[in-house]
Amino acid sequence: MKTSLTVNDSPSLTLESAITQLEQASSAEDLIGATRRLAALAEPGAADSLMSVLGFNNPGAALAAVDGLIAIGPEAVPVILGNLDARNYGARAWAVRALAGLADERGLDVLVDALLHDVGPSVRRAAARGLGELVLSQQPDLAAAQLNSCVDALEMGSRDGEWVVRYAVVVGLERRMRPQVKPDLRERITKTLKLLVDPQHESVLVVRQRAELSMQRLDVVKH
Amino acid sequence: MQEPGPNPNHGGPSAEGAPINEAEAIARLKQTDDPSAQYYAAWWLGRMRSEHPEAVPLLCEALRQRQPRQPDAGVEANAVARNAARALGLLRAKAAVADLLATLEDDDHGLRDVAARALGDIQAPEAVTALCRRLSTGLQGAGAPEAGSPRLREPCESLLEALGAIGDNTPEVLKVITPFTEHPRPLIRSAACRALLQLTGESCWATPLEELLRHPQLQVRRAALMDLGAVGWRPALPAIEATLAENSLKLIALRGLAEHPREPDASECLDRDGDPLVIVLDAMDALL
Repeated sequence: MKTSLTVNDSPSLTLESAITQLEQASSAEDLIGATRRLAALAEPGAADSLMSVLGFNNPGAALAAVDGLIAIGPEAVPVILGNLDARNYGARAWAVRALAGLADERGLDVLVDALLHDVGPSVRRAAARGLGELVLSQQPDLAAAQLNSCVDALEMGSRDGEWVVRYAVVVGLERRMRPQVKPDLRERITKTLKLLVDPQHESVLVVRQRAELSMQRLDVVKH
Repeated sequence: MQEPGPNPNHGGPSAEGAPINEAEAIARLKQTDDPSAQYYAAWWLGRMRSEHPEAVPLLCEALRQRQPRQPDAGVEANAVARNAARALGLLRAKAAVADLLATLEDDDHGLRDVAARALGDIQAPEAVTALCRRLSTGLQGAGAPEAGSPRLREPCESLLEALGAIGDNTPEVLKVITPFTEHPRPLIRSAACRALLQLTGESCWATPLEELLRHPQLQVRRAALMDLGAVGWRPALPAIEATLAENSLKLIALRGLAEHPREPDASECLDRDGDPLVIVLDAMDALL
């Protein structure tokens, strides 16, 4: 009994002290360590503090914070959406990566906006991947509209100027092509992939190689 | 590492610079009153892989605009010349080899640097002798620190990388490169191992590169990543996945492994099952 109490109590104690450590971190190294310890707890109560780390311009700490937010799961989503900082580009980029990793339907609009408009290729890349992985609504009508938004954005992303974004778009499209996908969407996805395997249209070999692999994999699903 | 080839039709959010067209770029390069307009035009023609018949002759002309290095003057013209050299490399302009070889003899270290790179990009076999000559003084000469500067006496990294890219693996070339694998600076060791791995395909040159992926300095890990990517050394995949560096750079390195693979004899290949290309692509997917 005593043991179980200790086990139950320790997380909240640890959370509090982990947050204190984070607030008191006095060097870049300290901040990374403190963020990792807080992130490892995967506690919803850590989400606010982890979000604040995204704005500190410390890539190591931000990476740990993104992992921590993803580990928290759905409860982190409203905290991220409620704290998006349009004026801090770096923080916003990390938040998009966290939303992409969480694959929560509430992140859809932010991911679409990021894929189409973000200035950072790594952010657009993460957004494209996220749109491929997003878990759609349980309600069929809503899910269909969401899927449509994902495919719309990925189609536009297939014309991105950076090869790595187009590569991520291929991966996103492949993941959207489930057996239950309706014929019109299936046709649109196939059409985009066909453009990305065509050397006349796509100049970067690895993008064509990846699109080719998707086509092979999707044929297996089709037949 | 080959630059990603942008398609001018891809007007994505990352499209850089003001939207000018090819005719405008040619006109800006042709005038000589405004070096900054020439500077931008030279960059543009390379970036857009211009095939305009006047592009290469004008870029060579810009290369000849270079001036003796003076602390207060001539910097602008040399900046134009540097961009022109880079563009000629991107355009794989064989017609520019003679001008680039002349630039390789310039007193301006920065110009020798870009000229060596461009000759490597063009894969000009005519350049091997000159590149080797600049390196032949070894660690005590070309590889020694330049007095009063953080640089070495020669732009060793570019010279070594160019030799690797050109692909002449005669013993004389290997003999010039090999001492640089012992250079005190890790970036030079990395460039030398990269060149030797490209030229010989021998795993012994991959081992030091994989060790550099565990170097405490991020800058060194990044260089080793780019070098393994430039070679396309597929056995390095696990070491690339494990190194502490940005996913963006790992993706660029893995692109090299996917597009132009190199590996030792079959016995030493990746011990994972399956199509080696698919294994590389799966690793890339996991980094997106």
